[in-house]
Amino acid sequence: MAAIIETRNLTKIYGGKVKALDDLNISIEEGEVYGLLGPNGAGKTTTINLLVTRIAPTSGTAIVNGFDIVKNSLEVRKSIGVVPQDLTTDEDLSGFENLKMVSQFYDVPAEEAKERIHKLLSMVSLDDVKDRLVRQYSGGMRKRLELIAGLVHDPKILFLDEPTLGLDVTTRTQMWKYVREIQEKLDVTIILTSHYLEEVDALANRISIIDHGKVLATGTSEELKSNLKGDIILATMKTDKDAETLMKYPGAIEAKENGPRAVRLKVQNSDEELPKIIQYISGNSLSITRLTVQKPTLDDVFLEYTGSEIRSEEPTDSRQEMMNLRRLRR
Amino acid sequence: MSGLGPLTSRELKKWYRNPVSLLTGLIQPFFWLALFGSAFSKISAFGPTLLDGAPNYITYILGGVLTIIGLFTALFSGVNLIFDRRLGVLGRFLIAPIRRSSIVFSKIFASSARILVQVGILILAALLIPNGLEFKHGFTVLDALILIAAVMLVALIFTSIFTTLAVRITRPDTIFGVINLVNLPLLFVSYAMFPPGLMAGWLSDAAKYNPVSWSAEAIRTVVINGTLTASQMHSVGVWLGGLAILATILLLMAYFVSENEIRE
Repeated sequence: MAAIIETRNLTKIYGGKVKALDDLNISIEEGEVYGLLGPNGAGKTTTINLLVTRIAPTSGTAIVNGFDIVKNSLEVRKSIGVVPQDLTTDEDLSGFENLKMVSQFYDVPAEEAKERIHKLLSMVSLDDVKDRLVRQYSGGMRKRLELIAGLVHDPKILFLDEPTLGLDVTTRTQMWKYVREIQEKLDVTIILTSHYLEEVDALANRISIIDHGKVLATGTSEELKSNLKGDIILATMKTDKDAETLMKYPGAIEAKENGPRAVRLKVQNSDEELPKIIQYISGNSLSITRLTVQKPTLDDVFLEYTGSEIRSEEPTDSRQEMMNLRRLRR
Repeated sequence: MSGLGPLTSRELKKWYRNPVSLLTGLIQPFFWLALFGSAFSKISAFGPTLLDGAPNYITYILGGVLTIIGLFTALFSGVNLIFDRRLGVLGRFLIAPIRRSSIVFSKIFASSARILVQVGILILAALLIPNGLEFKHGFTVLDALILIAAVMLVALIFTSIFTTLAVRITRPDTIFGVINLVNLPLLFVSYAMFPPGLMAGWLSDAAKYNPVSWSAEAIRTVVINGTLTASQMHSVGVWLGGLAILATILLLMAYFVSENEIRE
């Protein structure tokens, strides 16, 4: 697969001293959902803002869909769709009118735009309320409208910057469903930033962890987790003797007692090791009462690379943030 | 590619869908004429010489009130841009492949369109009220064009200034402060309401350089005289010329500032 986005030593320095992005080199492939994960101030939103030509790089560049973000920003803008962190639809217009206006910005022929808008509206179940003013929408409805506003001109790439910020859990899961559906049906490459680890885990095929403007690790969620070397298997046996025998299991990297008759085994890959352990247990005629597998979470991965737990994102612009939350709460 | 069409239509939709703004827009001209017409009607006692030959004060101040209506609407033309920035809508415009200037020019054109509607309502109101507007010496198509050109040029001058200010202002109260600072001076240091003969010397001298005076005087000349003499035509030409030059410079400024400086 070919890279649809490639950054080349992309650097952004704010005010001559704050290095938000430091020689960033990432490559995003066509058709994938790519997640950017990082703590507050890591450079996620700066990366997005540079790639969507909202700001200009201090040095370096990036190629988006074959166009240089510095030399050919207008062409870049035409080939991408953006769902910014903030709400950007006009409350005084209806949902349909908002989408119609955006389609006109991209010179989509009227007939084609109409057809596409209807398709998108039904994809995110907004067709019933399309003629209602956006001010009457609920928070979840507005976010869904934002999502498809970035898609009316049939972009090849969609940028999602914190798509579920401020939404409740149910609405968030619903948004994930829509994002997946969009990716499948419309065949777009999606670049996603989020500070919800489970969101990136649920949506992205490939993830880059960035901090201090640099990429620390890239890979699928599984790859990143297996790099941590070790799943944990907890077993409780019927007798002390059985527990002792299990402690001698040869495939374990590490075996420890974990309470009375309980054993904690650290293994390379629990999916591969578990059948062997079961074979070992039955081969040695051990009696087991309880068996639990603990997989490392993306949280563990994050902790490993950045040395800190992910903090809830402090909005860079608190005024804007409050306004968004206030409007979402309606 | 420009985005000017969809953005201007958005502005106008927001305006005419707001029943309050529509209603106040309808009532305001009557208020203005009734209040100004009565408040300063004693001026008529000074006789037609002072009023440049106008049959009554309403006829005399029509040019002033038309200009002021254009001015006041224009002063607020940048406010929507500040709210677009605050509410996040501007972000959507800035990531679209449209010219940055179309964001600002949509406000300039939408405000001008509103002003045109207000001008029509105000002239109707002036004709309807008792002892109101009288075209003693007729009113030709050329007169109508001069009247519209004068108000439109004033509109373009002040919408350019105030939308350009809004390109970099992030707080609505800032622009409201600026509006409050300049609106009354622009109104009173001009010939919009009073004949030069009734003004203090220094005030009258200063008022000569106010574009509000140029528009008010140009409209007044055609409303009172109908068909113009050569010398009247010359004066009107100078006033409109001055307005046109100023409007061109300021529109260019609005263009370059918005293309390069607009941001969230």
